[in-house]
This record gives sequence, C-alpha cells and structure tokens, in this order.
Amino acid sequence: MLVLVLILLPLIAGALLFLLPRDDVAMSKSVGAVAAAAVLVLAVAERGESWAWRWFSHPFIAEIHFGATYLSHWLVVLLALCTLCAVLASNVPRTRNMIAALLLLEGTMAGLFLARDLLVFALFWDAMLLPVFFVLIGWAEHPATAWRYFTYNFAGGLTLLLAVAAFGALYGSTDVIGNPAYHAIASAWAPWMLAGFAFAFLVKTPVWPFHTWMPQTYEETPAPMVAVVSAVQSKAGLYGFIAIAFALFPSYFRQEAPILIVLAVISMLYGALVALVQADAKRVVAYSSLSHLGLIVLAIASQNPLALSGALVYIVAHGLFSAALFLVLGYVEEREETRSLARLGGLGWANPRLTGVFCITALAALGLPGLAGFVGELIILIGVYQAGLVWAAILALVAVVLASAYMLRLLQGATNGAEVPDLPVRRDLTLLEGLAVAPLLAALLYFGVYPHALLVLMR
Amino acid sequence: MMLLLALLVPLAGAIACWALGPWLRNLAGWLATAAVGISFVATLLLWGAATQPGGVHLALFSWMSGFDFGLTLDPLSLLWALIITGVGFLIHLYSIGYMHGDRAFARFFAYMNFFIFAMMLLVLSDNWVGLLVGWGLVGLASYFLIGFWFERRSAVAAARKAFILNVIGDVGIMFAIFLIVANVHSIRFADTFAASATFGAPLLYAICAGLFIGAAAKSAQVPLHTWLPDAMEGPTPVSALIHAATMVTAGVYLVARCAPLWSHSPRAQMLVGTIGALTAIVGAILGTAQWDIKRILAYSTMSQIGYMIMGVGVGAYAGGVAHFFTHAFFKAQLFLASGLIIHALHNEQDVRKMGGLRARTPLAFWAILVGVLAICGIPGFSGFFSKDQIIQGVLENGHPWMYGVGLLTAGITAYYMFRLFFITFLGEYRGNVDPAQLGMAPEAVGAEVAHEPASTGSGEAHAPAWVMNLPVALLIVPSVLAGWLLFSTDGASSPWSRFFAAQFPTAAQASAAAVPEWATALIALGVVLAGIGVAVARYATRSAQANAVARLRDESLRMPKLLVNAFYVDTLIDGVFVRGARLLGSLFGRILDPHVIDGAVRGVAASAVGFGVLVRALQSGLVRAYALVIVLGVGCFLAYYVFGIPR
Amino acid sequence: MTPGLLPMPLVDYLALSAVMFFIGVTGVIVRRNPLVMLMSIELMFNAANLLFVAYARAWLNDAGHIFAFLVITVAAAEAAIALAIVVIAFRASKNVDVDEASALRG
Repeated sequence: MLVLVLILLPLIAGALLFLLPRDDVAMSKSVGAVAAAAVLVLAVAERGESWAWRWFSHPFIAEIHFGATYLSHWLVVLLALCTLCAVLASNVPRTRNMIAALLLLEGTMAGLFLARDLLVFALFWDAMLLPVFFVLIGWAEHPATAWRYFTYNFAGGLTLLLAVAAFGALYGSTDVIGNPAYHAIASAWAPWMLAGFAFAFLVKTPVWPFHTWMPQTYEETPAPMVAVVSAVQSKAGLYGFIAIAFALFPSYFRQEAPILIVLAVISMLYGALVALVQADAKRVVAYSSLSHLGLIVLAIASQNPLALSGALVYIVAHGLFSAALFLVLGYVEEREETRSLARLGGLGWANPRLTGVFCITALAALGLPGLAGFVGELIILIGVYQAGLVWAAILALVAVVLASAYMLRLLQGATNGAEVPDLPVRRDLTLLEGLAVAPLLAALLYFGVYPHALLVLMR
Repeated sequence: MMLLLALLVPLAGAIACWALGPWLRNLAGWLATAAVGISFVATLLLWGAATQPGGVHLALFSWMSGFDFGLTLDPLSLLWALIITGVGFLIHLYSIGYMHGDRAFARFFAYMNFFIFAMMLLVLSDNWVGLLVGWGLVGLASYFLIGFWFERRSAVAAARKAFILNVIGDVGIMFAIFLIVANVHSIRFADTFAASATFGAPLLYAICAGLFIGAAAKSAQVPLHTWLPDAMEGPTPVSALIHAATMVTAGVYLVARCAPLWSHSPRAQMLVGTIGALTAIVGAILGTAQWDIKRILAYSTMSQIGYMIMGVGVGAYAGGVAHFFTHAFFKAQLFLASGLIIHALHNEQDVRKMGGLRARTPLAFWAILVGVLAICGIPGFSGFFSKDQIIQGVLENGHPWMYGVGLLTAGITAYYMFRLFFITFLGEYRGNVDPAQLGMAPEAVGAEVAHEPASTGSGEAHAPAWVMNLPVALLIVPSVLAGWLLFSTDGASSPWSRFFAAQFPTAAQASAAAVPEWATALIALGVVLAGIGVAVARYATRSAQANAVARLRDESLRMPKLLVNAFYVDTLIDGVFVRGARLLGSLFGRILDPHVIDGAVRGVAASAVGFGVLVRALQSGLVRAYALVIVLGVGCFLAYYVFGIPR
Repeated sequence: MTPGLLPMPLVDYLALSAVMFFIGVTGVIVRRNPLVMLMSIELMFNAANLLFVAYARAWLNDAGHIFAFLVITVAAAEAAIALAIVVIAFRASKNVDVDEASALRG
C-alpha cells in the first residue's frame, strides 16, 4: 500500500491545492511543503513492498502493479527531495498553481518509476508530460515552447506505447519490469520493439541528436519546475534504458550498444562545447546536462557492472546538482532580472551567501573531488575503461576538462568581477531560500565522501 | 588519532572561519594560525612512529571492495607534512599582518586553512583516489586564492586558467587510475607497487605518463606551466605558500611516491627527466626577462621545480626531495620578503620603480640576500647541497646532457636572481621617476596602480608588524642551515640519506660517475660565479648605478619579443585550444544545432504539412468528381471479384 | 429457364437493372443541374429496387419486397431533403449549377 500512497498522495494534494485561495502563497506553500515532506519520508521508509491488481487478461495480461526496485527507490527519493526543495524555493507569479503542478509532476513521476508493468509505465510516461506542458503554457515566454516540448516527447511516448503493445501481444504479459520470472523474449520483432523504447528514452534523456527541444524548454520553464524536470524527469529515459531496454532485450541491446556509445560520446563533447559559448545562464546548464547525461548513457551502454553502479551514483549526483543549479539560477535571476552572462557580474560582494551556494553547486557540477559528481564520474569511467572502451573513456576525460571551463565561466561570470552598477542590488539569500538548497548540497557532500549506500554492484 | 587530528584541524579551522567570518573578524587569523600550529605539532609528535619501518597507517572507510581509504605517514609524507604545516604556520602568521584590514580577512584564512587540509590529504592518503581528491582540492584552494580579489578581471582570468590547467592534470591522474584499477583491482599504493612487477612495459609507461600529466600540471612543467606566472595575481602570502613552497611541489611528491613505478620504466624516466630539464632552463631564461618582482620569483620557482622533477624523474630521488626541502624555506622567504617590500611601497611590484631599498627595508634586504645566495647555490647555503646532489645524481644515473642543462641553468639562475637583488636594493630609489622613462608600457602602469587593493587607509598597516617580520627572520635560519643535513664526509651516511634509507629503491645501482662529486661542486660554483659576474657588470658597477634609469629603459625596450611573450606558449594554447573549442562550440551552437539538427526535426514536421497540402488537392468540393471516384472505386471492386488479383 | 414466379428469365431483369443503374450513374456524373442529378439518383434506386423485387420473386423470399419498400421510403425522404437543399442553395446563389457550389474544397 505504501507505494500506492507515494503516487496518490502528491496527486491528491496537488489537486486539492486548487481549492485553496488563489493568492494565499504562504498557505499553499506550507501545504505543498508538508505533502512533499511526507512523500520524502515515505520514500525513504519504503522497503520494496509491491501492490498489484489485475487490469485485464485479454489479449495479454496487464497488471496495475507498483513496487520499487533498488534503482527506482533512489530515483523516488531523489524525486521527493527535489520536489520538496523546489516547493520551498517557489517564488513565481501564481505560486499556488506552480506548487500544484510540482506535486502533480511528483505523483506522475513516482508512478513512472514505481510501475512494474510496461503499460502502466507507458501511461505515466505520457501523464508526466502534462504538468510540465501546463506550466510552460502558463509561464513560458513563447507558447510554442510548450507545444514543442509536448509534441517531441509525445512522439517518443507514441513509439513507447506501440512497442509496449507489440511486446504485450507477443510475450503475453506486460507485467515484466523487474520481474524475476521474465525470460528474454525471442522474436523477429524484438529489434523494432527495442527501437521504439529506445527512441522514447533517447528523446526524454535527451541524447544527441534528439536534444533540440531541451535548451529551449529549460530556458523558458520557471526555476522550480525546471529544477525537477532536469534533475528527475531526464532520469526517466535513463531508468528506462536500465530497467526496460537493457533488462528486457539483453542480447539485442548488446548488439546495438555501439550506436548508443557513439551517441553518448558525441553528446558529452557536443554539449560541453556548446555550453562553452552560450550567453544565457540557463542554456549553459541545459547543454551541460546534455554532456553529463551522455556520460550516464555511456555507462549504461558499456554494460560494465562497475560503470552501472557508478551510473547510479551519478544519476543521484546529477539530480542533486542540476536541481541546485537551476534553483540558484532562479535566485540570481530574481535578484538581477537577467540571465545574460554578458550583463551579470559582481554578485560576490552584495550576496556572499548566494555566491557561496552557487560556488559549491557549480563545483559539484564540474566534478570536484570530494563531491558526489566526482565519485560517479570516476567510477563510471573506470568501468567504461574496464569494458574496453578506451577511446570513449579518454574522450570523456576531455569533456571533464571542458566541464570545468564552462562551469567556471558561468560561476565567475555571475559572481566575480566588479559590481555591475546598473543591476539592482537585492538582499542576500533568505533563510527559506537557503533551506531549499541546503539538503541538496548536504547530500552532494555526503555522497561525495561516503557513497557506500549508492554503490551496490548492479547486474 | 593524531594523524586524523593533523588532517582535520585545519579543515575545522577553515569551516569556522568561513561560517563565522563576520563575527570572528580579526580573530579569524589567529584561529587559522593556531589550527595549522596544532596540525604541525600533531605531525611532529608522530615523527618517531613514522620513521619506523612501515610508518603509521590508519584505515578509514571503504566505498566498496577495492576502494579502501586510509591515511599513511612514512618518511616521505612526514617530510611534506612538516613543511606544509611548519612553513604554512609561519606564512599564516605573516598573513595576519599582510592581510590586515582586507574586507574579506576571514575568508582569506578560511581558504588558507582549507588549502592546508587539502594538501595534507594529498600527502597523507595511502591510495590513488584519496590523492586525487587532495590533488583536486588543492587546485580549488589555489583557484580561490589566486582569484581572491575577484573584482579584478585579471585575477579572475588567472584563477580560471590555473584551475583548468590543473584539471587537465587531474584528468591525467584519473587516466592512470583507470589503468591501475583495471589491472590491480585496488586503489591502494601498496597493492599497486606490489603488482607493478607484473606490468608490461607499455602499461607501466602509460600509467607513468598519466601520472606525470598530473604532476606536470600541478608543478608547472612545460607546456602546462603558463598558469604559474599568472597565479601571482593572488596575495603574496598565497604565492609563498601555495605557488612556491608546497602545492607546486606536489608533482615532485607524486613522482617520488611512485618511485617503484618509475624505477621500472626507463622510458618514463626519460620523459620526466627531459621535461624537468626543459622546464628548468625555460623557467630560468624567462626569469631573466621579467620586471615584476613576483613574476621573477614565479619563473625561478618553475625553474627550481624543473630541477626537482628532473632529479626524481631520473632516479635521484633523495636529491630531488632534498631540493624541495631547502627550496620550501628559501623560496617562501624570498616571497615573504618581497611581500615586505610590496607592502612598504604601497603595492608597487615593478622592480624598475624600486632601487635603493636597503635602508628602507633592511630586513627584506638581508632576507632576500640570504635567499638569493641559497637559490644560487653558494657553498654553505642550503641550495648548494641540494642542487649539487641533483646535478650529480643526474650524471650518476647516466644522463650527461641533463647534467649540462643543470649546470647551465644554475648559471642563468645566479644571473637573474642577482639582477633582481641589484635592481631592487642598489642605487637610487626610482619610485618617483616617470614610468615612461623606465620604458614601462603605459597600460602596465595603470594595472600596477590598482594592484593589491590598499589594505587600509591608516598608516600603521604599512609598518610591518612583528607578525610579518618574525616569519621572515625565522625562515633565514633553515635557508642557511637546512642543507647541512645533506652533508656527510663519506658521501653516503648523511642524516638525510639515513632518514630516507628505506623509502626509495636502491639508487646505488648508479654507476660510478665520470665526474667526482667535489669536481661537480667546483664546476657548478664556477658557472654560478660567472652568472653573478654578468649581473654585477650589468647592474652593480659604478657606471651602471649612475645611469640606472637609462639602462633600465634600454633593457625594457630592447627585451626580445620572444622572451616578453614567454616563447608564445600562452598564445599558442590560447589560439589552438581555447579558440578552437570556442569556435567548435559556436559552430555547433549557432549553426548545427538550430539549423541542421533542429532543421531535420522541423523537416519531419514540415513533411507532414507538405503531405497534407498534397492530399488537399483531392478535396475539390465538386460533388460530381466525388461521384466519379466512387464509381471508379466500385469498378475496381468489381474487377477484383471478376478477375481476381493478378499473380 | 424461369425460376420461381417470374414470367421472364431472371437475366432480363438483371440486364434492365444494370442499364437503368448506369444511366443513373452517367446522369449524376455528367449533368450539372441538381434536379436532373436527383432524378438520376432516383433511377439508381429504382434499378436496385427492381433487383430486390426480381430476386424476391425468383427465390420466393419476401425480404426483397420489404427492402424495396424501405428503399422507396428512404428515397422519398432523401428527395424531400435534397429538394429543400436545392431550393435553399438556389435562393442563396441564384444558380443551380452544382460545380459552382464548391465550399467544401479542402
């Protein structure tokens, strides 16, 4: 039952929020925070129970089946933590609606990660697009962004659904995610199904060359929402690769892995190079995400156990630091009313606390030893090297160097230099704003020193 | 426990200074200094245990099997830990005076303490990952401290450059770690060294090359050296601690620590020795062309580290490490003394605007004189012993050309160090001379004025308090005496070689050198005296003193472009890598992304629209046309039933 | 041979029906006057009716008769609606050429 609560609690809380008075920011924030905190506690307490209910058995067996695997447990914890932080940091017009959307997103994504049935997975896959879509419609500068996000990802959802239908028809059951009784499907259609799944995952992650929806979406989504989207929604694709593409089609996946490796390496270098020249702070982080997620895709494609366990560390680490980065950029934008690196500068003296938080976050993103990103990076690359992908490992190291270049450009551009006279001077980080990012930074530090809890060798 | 104390107290100090900075105010300096002092004492108390065979070992925790973390203290790390905390303590003390009144006083000490922690982590780790963590964190501390005055554009750029070049080094070590873990399945030094005998030559060479990229970046070896002169943008105590005494010698530590690996790979030894020799001479040549007192010292640091790297690279481990030991004292002293001058002259760093400072800053005069004598290797001073040991060691290990380079560099070093000394202290004070008459570029003048932001408006800050004088005075003692630890009558039983007896692989494999040790010392002395002679002739004679302004102007204007631009290495790196990456980024970001890739995506959308346009033509709206199509359709059906499908 | 209650061979009815149907089809396709087109459609209905009735007699099955009545009813309703549309269209455009009425063009 606990898993069901994890999904339904945020959904119901999100819906109920619309009953609150529209202008009562404090009220909706506290209700949202309490709900998100409760989900976080439950997600941590969750111990792998599962809940199933027969949906239909003809033409194939489908179960409404939820339950956490090791990977999805951590993803749900990450999701709950990021949502809580985003709720606390929400400071946008129409706050109530934003918090409601955040909770709805949390519910749908919890459903996605906890789904043990492919059909349920596919349904939540499309459902999780909706809160983001509505936020984009309501808050983005250009409505076209919302349609672009939705159409692109929905196209992925469509191939996913087709692949699920084909899988159900040919295998006879879709209750297969993390199911030990599953035996690898042997069918001439398997490569096509794999392609359908892979397309959805590649778009969602995103991986080059399916990434072009992402910078624009990240740029125009308000900070709290984009923090969750970049931290957790992007992991849906990676989760899919591990729990579905790799687990259900091991032999075909192995056969097609070289394609994935090439795309991952291109993503890493391409994202890093483009991040180097972006003028908009959020776009820098967006392209850096492309680069970082490429590393995780590389880890998954290498199928080395060490790389996979490193991938889990890096999934969590990337979630933590990208959420923190977007929240911090939100703070900066609130204060300076611009995101342009050409205009920003000199925050260091006026806002030392903000600068400190920004600094730690950016350092985590560039893989500073001692923070969680480094652990993931190192272990992934050791694994990738062990898998025999020497050149991929070396090129990944180039991306590591580039990461420090673009992250420092971002950090120094905003905080260093002389104070810019025509920018507004606002007060430093408030207690609430600090509290919103503190758990993320603490987790980065903790897992950077002692990632033992995350480092369990995966299949 | 003591070991953990030595490591963590500075970290606690850093956190306290950082978090409580606004409340601590001037107390932060004393707190940080005390933290380093405690760390020093704790390290000292471990002396006895560390020099036992096996040293001190402390297991900490494990990430997973093969990834076990721990600390170790053996003679090599003991030496480094003592220098880090000992010299670090003196420099902290000095900084209390130097940074007095800076508006980020507490933050400065937080960074300094953090650096001590990171450096201790680097030298105390018993495994590669711990070393790499320390390696990265000292780079971070260096980044923070170079960019300490972050409102200055040049400081920010220098900090970024230092960080990125150091990340290249980190990445080299990461690569070595891949190779090691793939082959040894453990990150501990001990396991690696134990297994190293089974490595093939190419693997060993690859590991050594990866490690050496790290060492070269950290220790400013050619061609990754360009960050070090720029790093002088940081406050002077930072230059003394990080960019002279400790952090930049981490590369020497790494090579010395991995002596078991290098000793089995002659190719790697050749690589490291060559780069070290090249760096030594390049640094020395560039040192002759500088006017900024800190940049002269920076290039001399680079050159001296080149010596150390050359020494440890070819197998003269004891000599290379000894040079680190003596260099830490006299170079820290040189930097701190030049800090006294800079402080006294209201942040003037250009030696052309100095001159005649002996009376104004007597302590600095004596301190720099001792430092210069030590670095030149005048017999009796510390540098003499250690440098000779390297030069002799290189020859004993069979590299005569490095021997020659070492001697030549010693001569150049003597020239530019005495040049610095003469220009600064002899003749008349030139602070009031028009900069143009001294041949200073106009834009440089503006930059100099704004250099170190004035600490305070009050006059008392410019009179160095005892906190600044005491460390300089104290450092004079080891600068003179430290070298005697290397001295022995029979050549092998000096206190130094006994200290490291168990540390390094038998260097005694060296063949009897063609030149005996006393002869090397004499040749070196001759070369050094020649260098000093040139400096005397150019700057110290009576006529040179009289026409100092005109001569300096001539020298400034006639300085070869090649030297002024530091052999264009910076230009090359900037032109090829920095611009190349930006160009690719712009190409991808401005053309490929929006037009080609996104163009393809939009093409898919557009093709759907195009198909609609095509099909639209069929919807003529004419009832009779529809009827005709229906009839044709019926005709097809009929034909199908009547004739069947043609097969 | 003449099956069931038919006075003539079945094939004659079929031929007459086919001729009537094709006259109707041709009328719909080639004429532009909606009234004539409606009459042509009626002709096709009646061709179908003739077949229904002929087969009903031939196979002694009353379903065909019932269908014929149904078709007559539908045809009457259709004619009523179609004539109403034609009248309205004529009022709107003073024209009874169907080719002029192409508002449904895509």
